[in-house]
Amino acid sequence: MSNNINGATKLPPRLRGPRAIEFIAYVLAIAFFIVSLSGTEWSMIAFVEGIPNLMTFLSEAFPPSLTRLQQTGSALLETFQMALVGTVMGVLISLPLAIFAAKNLAPHWSVYQLSRGLIALARTVPDLIWALIFVIMVGLGPFAGTLAIMVDTLGFCARFFAESMEEADPGPQEALTAMGASPTSKIFCAVIPDAMPSFINVSLFALEKATRSSVILGLVGAGGIGIELKVSMDMFEYSQAATIILSIFILVIIVEQLSGGLRRKIL
Amino acid sequence: MLNATPLYEKHEPEGSVSCLCKDDAELLVSNIAKTYKGSDKPILNGASFAVAHGEAVALMGANGAGKSTLMRCCMGLVPFDQGTVSVLKQSINDLSPKALRQLRAKCGFVFQKHNLVPRLSALSNVIHGCQSREQGMRTWHQAIAKNAIRQQAMHYLDMVGLADYALRRVDQLSGGQSQRVAIARTLMQKPILVFADEPVASLDPNAGEDVMALFVSLIKEHNLTLLFSSHHISHALTYSDRVIGLHSGQVVLDQAVHRLNEDKLRGLYEQ
Repeated sequence: MSNNINGATKLPPRLRGPRAIEFIAYVLAIAFFIVSLSGTEWSMIAFVEGIPNLMTFLSEAFPPSLTRLQQTGSALLETFQMALVGTVMGVLISLPLAIFAAKNLAPHWSVYQLSRGLIALARTVPDLIWALIFVIMVGLGPFAGTLAIMVDTLGFCARFFAESMEEADPGPQEALTAMGASPTSKIFCAVIPDAMPSFINVSLFALEKATRSSVILGLVGAGGIGIELKVSMDMFEYSQAATIILSIFILVIIVEQLSGGLRRKIL
Repeated sequence: MLNATPLYEKHEPEGSVSCLCKDDAELLVSNIAKTYKGSDKPILNGASFAVAHGEAVALMGANGAGKSTLMRCCMGLVPFDQGTVSVLKQSINDLSPKALRQLRAKCGFVFQKHNLVPRLSALSNVIHGCQSREQGMRTWHQAIAKNAIRQQAMHYLDMVGLADYALRRVDQLSGGQSQRVAIARTLMQKPILVFADEPVASLDPNAGEDVMALFVSLIKEHNLTLLFSSHHISHALTYSDRVIGLHSGQVVLDQAVHRLNEDKLRGLYEQ
């Protein structure tokens, strides 16, 4: 059908009006958001009335106390060690799991489904819950936190690793198939080198994420600086808490800068 | 329609059809048919031909004529619906996956877009060629390869004039250089029969001419059998002994090159 009316091309509409069902969906979504504001007790009045409390906290927190600097430093080091070991272990386990969870590489659909299921389990359960489970399993301390980070990293990395391997350029794989290479060789010669930038990128993001997570895990007794923070807050030692918060901030910034630098250098 | 009134005479005595029963045929394609899923038109429709040892055969035809599919069917990379393909006297129709891998190891394949691993060095890519005869992780990367394999790979890189670029990543090479690396990888495989699917189509005319001349000279030097597809009429006339013309998945021309001229080949593209 021609779009031409009296010699001038008819312009298409800028926006397409919603269909009735879409319109109802939008209205329902907006209504649910309004109900959620009430459900979360969202109140600007409470927020404004709370500002003096924040000021009290800040006035007591600053200047930060340096009396427990050594303990804070060693807890911070432990936090980073948990993040590092948990991430490396998680990445190492992710690789074989991701191969089985990649549609184009899995040896059998049942292996694919099982791997995808394991990854979904690791990813959907929050790291704090994993930490609680591992505290029950191995007791209080950094090992439980490291295991929690490992499982969380596994869920995060294996999924992205599998997706990047599924998206790997099929050309080199076809070339290796044509020369009689084994399926294993195809994975290590063509798929992994092609997906390597994505592996590195995702692994560095996982380290950044793990550094932030490892701070929180201490709250449930899974090691790291979190427990120090909780004790300081519970004891109203806000100047101690400020030191810990600032040191966490510095650690996270350093890790993000380092991983950003590495990413630029390697990729 | 070509089928109704063929433009070209099928050259029986020196051509392929009469060759089907010959013992010296290294590649024997008989009545092959293939229709891709979702398409109602067959891409290959009863094509038959043979290639004897040491021959260089050009496969020509317009886009969509079935050249690439035919080559991939010959290597078992694309399954076909009907017909038989015999490569180096082995029918690929009933080979186990392992036997098919062993057969592929004896056949080289040069792709239009070289299909190298871009993030690896030229040397590592050439070393991959020896996976046809060497198993294990020491063929995955030049850093862990055996000395003998590294030396062989360097020898082939030298043959294609790229010894100085051995450790250069392939994605930092030009199109012509990449295709030379792909040729070195194919030679590293020590094949008997080589397929080349428009090996210079992605290169500029000068680079394409250089690479094609080098490629065919190395094929002749190593006494290999070659089946290459091309849209370059001059390449078919210069570098092949015989031309097979495809149209709508059927062989419409099969003649020795000395009986052909440019006008006759151009006719393949005028349908």
